[in-house]
Amino acid sequence: MTDVAEGSATGVDQSQRAADTRGHVPGEASMWFFVVGDLLIFAVYFVGYMYFRGQNHELFLASQARLNVDIGAINTIVLLTSSLFVALGTAAARAGNTASGLRAFWIALAFGAAFPILKMFEWIPEITAGLTPGKNLFFMYYYVMTGMHLCHVALGLVIMCFVIRNLKTSTMPKISFIETGATYWHMVDVLWLVLFALLYLMR
Amino acid sequence: MSSSVATAPQSGAEQAKSWRTNRKLDQWIAFWSVPFFFNVFGLVFVPLSWMMPPRSPSSPTPHIVDFMHSHNLLIACLILTLAYGLAPVSNALYLVQIKRMSVSPAFRYSMMIGAITGAIVGMLFPMFCFGLGAFRPGYSPGVLTMLYDFGYLAFIGSLGCFCVMWMAFGLAIILDENRILPKWLGYYTVWQYVTELMAAPVWIAKTGPFAWNGLMTFWFAMALYVSWQFIVYLCIYKTIKNQPESELDNAAPQPAPAAIEVSSRTGA
Repeated sequence: MTDVAEGSATGVDQSQRAADTRGHVPGEASMWFFVVGDLLIFAVYFVGYMYFRGQNHELFLASQARLNVDIGAINTIVLLTSSLFVALGTAAARAGNTASGLRAFWIALAFGAAFPILKMFEWIPEITAGLTPGKNLFFMYYYVMTGMHLCHVALGLVIMCFVIRNLKTSTMPKISFIETGATYWHMVDVLWLVLFALLYLMR
Repeated sequence: MSSSVATAPQSGAEQAKSWRTNRKLDQWIAFWSVPFFFNVFGLVFVPLSWMMPPRSPSSPTPHIVDFMHSHNLLIACLILTLAYGLAPVSNALYLVQIKRMSVSPAFRYSMMIGAITGAIVGMLFPMFCFGLGAFRPGYSPGVLTMLYDFGYLAFIGSLGCFCVMWMAFGLAIILDENRILPKWLGYYTVWQYVTELMAAPVWIAKTGPFAWNGLMTFWFAMALYVSWQFIVYLCIYKTIKNQPESELDNAAPQPAPAAIEVSSRTGA
């Protein structure tokens, strides 16, 4: 991973960097272990949800109709935009353009931070209206899965702060670390897309 | 570390040495206490008392009373009372290894306190609840139902306490620069503890996949936990094996020069 970082910092060793980006897995391999494992865990939740949805189709549909699809859709756009800026920032950092990489990550962080705030605007009215996890199985799944996802978002925001610090303070930003953070953030995004489809949209 | 440690032969000859002079004997005893501990646990919880897999949270009262008064539960609680003390021994293993990592001692202390709170709420409370039912037959069915709820909720709903412990463990592995334990184990630990947090719904749900005997909160969490625990022990085994003797931090009495000569001759 160090040769990638040095290559980008000096900006001379173009051929070597090209070779690195062609054949290598972005980020640390151990992060991919985490990503695959985490996706499998969510997959079990998705399968469980689908099974119980099949058992009580009417109840799930009726409960689903009471969710706030607008905030869900806005949150989807917010996360997708955030992911776009993470990708742009990573590309800029790889090209050795630390300043624009830093700017992109700040924008990504701002969009990412909007997600939990919007989630509160969604959850609090629902809970005060009596749509708590104890209401029925749909709402239990809804709060457990979106809550688990929100924990991932929170961790992602912390990681993004570390990425920004890395870009800001070091003269040779660690590209592998930035890629690791970006990988994690894209995973959070993918999970939300599936959650949005399963919980809000599926009929 | 004394010089006799640093120059001790590492291979071949060492294996022939008596196990009593093995300088990692403490760690090995702690290590092998773990399979013993888990086997006793497994036997007591599953075939002896059928406490596990958990009984239904919505069982009718007569079933609860029968269970709380059963002789098998009494024997199970008796064995547990004697065996619970082994938990600190197994946790000592993690703490010894975390001490070698390049991370802040805060991780070690958090893990220690997390293990303590986890053991009190997740192990002692249920034992008291089930033990009260088994050893004190005079309680009314209402009280027994409460003890049953309390016991199971403490056992399964307390996984959050272990969460702090495993979070400290996972983060310490990820941040460690001495590569004491493999990095992927740190990430594995992170997703293991996130699923432990998901035990929270047992407080709300009384039936279905999120009840304390449910598919998600018990079976899925348990499948992940058991496989993870096996892998952690395999990794810990390798780590103890690879730990150089110069990194053992037992405060051994400094031997006199003559004693070194004797011990090196007998050791060879």
